[in-house]
Amino acid sequence: MSDRGEILKRMADNVVIGDEEAVKKAAEDWAGMTRAGKEKAYVGIVDGLAAGMKVVGDKYECKEYFLPEVLLSADAMYAGLGVLLPLIPKKDVGAAGTIVIGVVEGDIHDIGKNIVKAMLTAAGYDVHDMGRDVPTKDFVDEAKKSQAQVVALSTMMSPTLLSMKAVEESLEREGMKDRTKTIIGGGTVTEEFQKRIKADSYGKDAVDAVDKVKQLIDTVMKAVEMMKKREGL
Amino acid sequence: MVYKTRPEDTMSPYERLITILDWHKEKIDRLPAYNCITTYTIDGMEIFDAYWPEAHRDPEKMAKLGAALHELCGFECVEVPFELTLEAEALGIKLEFFEGKIKWPSVKEYWVKKVSDLDIPRKVEEMRNRGRVPVVCKAIKMLKERYYGEVPILANIDYPFQAIGGYIVDTSLWYKYMRSNPEEAHRFMETLGPLFDEVACAYLDAGADILAIREEASSLANIHPKTFKEFVMPVLKNSIRTMKTHGRVILHTCGECWSPTVENVSNLVACGADAFTVEEGTPMLELRRIANKIYGPWYPVGGNLSAFKVLHEGPIEKIRDRVKTVIEDGSDMPMMGCDIWLETPTKHVKAFVDAVIEYGTPPPWHKEGVDKWVPAGLREAK
Repeated sequence: MSDRGEILKRMADNVVIGDEEAVKKAAEDWAGMTRAGKEKAYVGIVDGLAAGMKVVGDKYECKEYFLPEVLLSADAMYAGLGVLLPLIPKKDVGAAGTIVIGVVEGDIHDIGKNIVKAMLTAAGYDVHDMGRDVPTKDFVDEAKKSQAQVVALSTMMSPTLLSMKAVEESLEREGMKDRTKTIIGGGTVTEEFQKRIKADSYGKDAVDAVDKVKQLIDTVMKAVEMMKKREGL
Repeated sequence: MVYKTRPEDTMSPYERLITILDWHKEKIDRLPAYNCITTYTIDGMEIFDAYWPEAHRDPEKMAKLGAALHELCGFECVEVPFELTLEAEALGIKLEFFEGKIKWPSVKEYWVKKVSDLDIPRKVEEMRNRGRVPVVCKAIKMLKERYYGEVPILANIDYPFQAIGGYIVDTSLWYKYMRSNPEEAHRFMETLGPLFDEVACAYLDAGADILAIREEASSLANIHPKTFKEFVMPVLKNSIRTMKTHGRVILHTCGECWSPTVENVSNLVACGADAFTVEEGTPMLELRRIANKIYGPWYPVGGNLSAFKVLHEGPIEKIRDRVKTVIEDGSDMPMMGCDIWLETPTKHVKAFVDAVIEYGTPPPWHKEGVDKWVPAGLREAK
């Protein structure tokens, strides 16, 4: 196998087994090739790190992997990203879309959010992580500032579901809903609840969330294009 | 005179539930309308002037709120305490109580990384005097004075695996420990297990009839059955054995715990609690089938109405329909799978109680006998 293929495979395989050090080492090897002008950093991210994370997602979906395994893989992926992201020219970062993500006010359980964030990062999105117990206003402010297409909200508990409704209502009040869509998920969140509070989408798990976010971003991109066209006319 | 929910009942709610838990369900007159997780709503806080956060710290208010749904609509149990952070607090974790608001207590920051970061008592008995454990014991004594022998008094405790990952160690870090630092994970479980047992036994000694253990973090949605077997099961089994020397024990789990294999739910059932209850993520029929296989048809299982989609949202017809279905599927204790929503209207809880009485009288096995009765869904499967 060529050096190139060997490094990519090493990155992917070690993301799958969650070996942070080994991924970092492989990413540094790839960074060396990037600096030498032989390879591009984003190829390492897509065909190495993200490819590994895709396998992790599949294993999670078919219940071969559970939270401990996914979280370790995510850490390994982040270690690799830490090496490769700085090598990507600024203008290319986050081209796929921007997402603001966080755990709503009143809840500190961020495990689900962390997994979704890892999957979204692996899928090439620019993810702004607001952390946990995030006040409603902060979500709205960040979405405005970063011009995010999607605000992703998570909660594990039931009493904090109402905080999701508050964010939804704030975005609506601010007139941002045509350019910013919402997706919600977490232990106690259901599709019925999503419909009831008029959030745009519901992710039943991390893998589903990535698919749904993609659909939302497509919708927003199309709407923005239409608006631009109309303004152009 | 012994309390009865309706004049035609031949048993008090206490006798009925205890009889089920003693695996003598052939003797009960009807199914119980109770819940092993929560017994309060905002309506209850208002009517009994027992608001959070005071009701977490004042034994009198705690007792009043714990009996709220019983007093308001004949719910057939009373229960304290009301939240999941109590055990963490007793080990030195600082809590946020959100004064003046009705919010679940929580922790603001995770800083514990290893067991030695906690304020571990030198002797396990010290746990009985830690944090709000004495407050809960006092509330239980008050409930006992009023309800003993008539309405079952439940106490609930969070289980270490969940408490550690929920309020002691950063949740993500805790789950990673199963792989990255198994020694510390074992140390946490083995150290905290006996301390939590001591709290549970204190509640039982104070007069609680039944202890409800909440172990929600280790469902199959979160960890592999193998991880459960390695980290949770030995400690949980041991705890249940200890607690059973002081009283009766119900194990409750949230989260899906049956697919794609039945291994996890079998593991949970096999932990040895007097009964096992689940949320809607685990189908009642499956649970009945597994329980029958492991212990036989006398083994009591409970659940699994959605606290949000059914009880909170209603409408009353849906609540009645779901109660009927879970009874047909083999639930001996039709109840909510998770905390009752605080905003749930009292009329919905009343409808639940009425439906359990209506569809659970007489119990489904009264003609064929407990050992012969099989839910229709399982009969067809054969």
